[in-house]
Amino acid sequence: MILSYVFTALIILLSLLVQGHTSFDVIRIAGVKPDLVFIAVVYLSYSFGSFYGEVTAFAGGLLHDAVSNSPLGLLTFPKVVIAFAVGMFGRSVLRSNIITISLLLFVVSILKGFITLFLCYVFREASAASVLDIILPEAFYNALLAPPLFFIFDRIFARELEREGY
Amino acid sequence: MSLAVQSSTFTLTVEGIISALVMPFQKAYDGIQGGVSRLWAGFTELTQVREELQRTRMKLQKYESMTGEMSEIRRENDRLRRILGMKERVEFDVVPASIISKDPDNWFRTIIINKGSNDGIRENMPVIAYQGGQKAIVGKVIEVRGGISRVAPIVSSEIRIGVKLQESRFPGLLSGFAGGSNLCKMDYINRAAYVRFGDTVITSGQGGIFPPGLVVGTVIKSYPLESSAYQRAIVKPLVDYDLVEDVFVIKKDVEKDLLELFSEGEKGKEE
Repeated sequence: MILSYVFTALIILLSLLVQGHTSFDVIRIAGVKPDLVFIAVVYLSYSFGSFYGEVTAFAGGLLHDAVSNSPLGLLTFPKVVIAFAVGMFGRSVLRSNIITISLLLFVVSILKGFITLFLCYVFREASAASVLDIILPEAFYNALLAPPLFFIFDRIFARELEREGY
Repeated sequence: MSLAVQSSTFTLTVEGIISALVMPFQKAYDGIQGGVSRLWAGFTELTQVREELQRTRMKLQKYESMTGEMSEIRRENDRLRRILGMKERVEFDVVPASIISKDPDNWFRTIIINKGSNDGIRENMPVIAYQGGQKAIVGKVIEVRGGISRVAPIVSSEIRIGVKLQESRFPGLLSGFAGGSNLCKMDYINRAAYVRFGDTVITSGQGGIFPPGLVVGTVIKSYPLESSAYQRAIVKPLVDYDLVEDVFVIKKDVEKDLLELFSEGEKGKEE
């Protein structure tokens, strides 16, 4: 189990590094990058339940907030909410195949986007243009990247998944 | 076949004798032929040379008139500067820096550079980059640590810059257009201003942070705001947030009086 925590921490840190460092700017398409931390959080909720996902979302979200220019908690809250929702269904309800995973990521990315937009509206400044500029492209990008990433995560957490009975 | 007469001092051959006899004639022929060629070329090239001379004279006249015009413009410029009491442009010290990270989220726009307080960088210092041989504005420093600083780019919605249209000189206030957009909006432009596509937007120097005259970008669209006395222009920054790699931080102290005045104004609006 300890190994899973270590892997989780490493995945979150690596995702933040890839998202933030200029060396990985090639992943930016039309000015939008995928939210790798969010994909990891969804995977962990999907595989190990709400609690594991929420804790990861909280820790990962705070780290994300710390390195971003966002007000503390603005990027954490949507991740925690989505982690809770995905964990409610999880792997036992949603079958693990490419279409399901892509659709799941697309829908939850849209949800996350609208929660963030609402928080931006309340605490800072929001524009409806963000739906087309950020929310939709990011949702497509996340949905596209999710199947290969889920495949890699399945290999990393193979022993833990086996213990869970998947 | 050769016939040779040999004595104790030299050898006389038939070829040697013939060549000694023919050589002066060969030289003479060569000289005459060269002379005729040069003479002929002189006749044929004369027309070309005359034409070339004509063209060169015309070019010279053109450049002489241009020099006259330029010196006239320079004198006029000096005179206008004196009349308007304009200050000579002050060149500031700059610190070159590389971008080591950009905001990991799509909703916010910040840049992390590899220079901080150890290099003399302080908050609110303007950041520029060279794009196509032009100095263009990138943003301003909003947070400083020992070896790194955080820069808010002009596409960020939290930045406000006093700008003006270079051609018509109408002022406005520039800020980021929307969360994930790489465009800016220029507000509070007088409705009387004729804003055209491609108009250059420069810093006005108001606000106390950015020096005047720095290029910001070009206008790509403008429209009047409903129920407002102003119009808005959408500005495409010269420096692309996604592509910028190296920047320069201008070591310029903030004009505190102006900054405090603006801060009080902002507070007043919020209340």
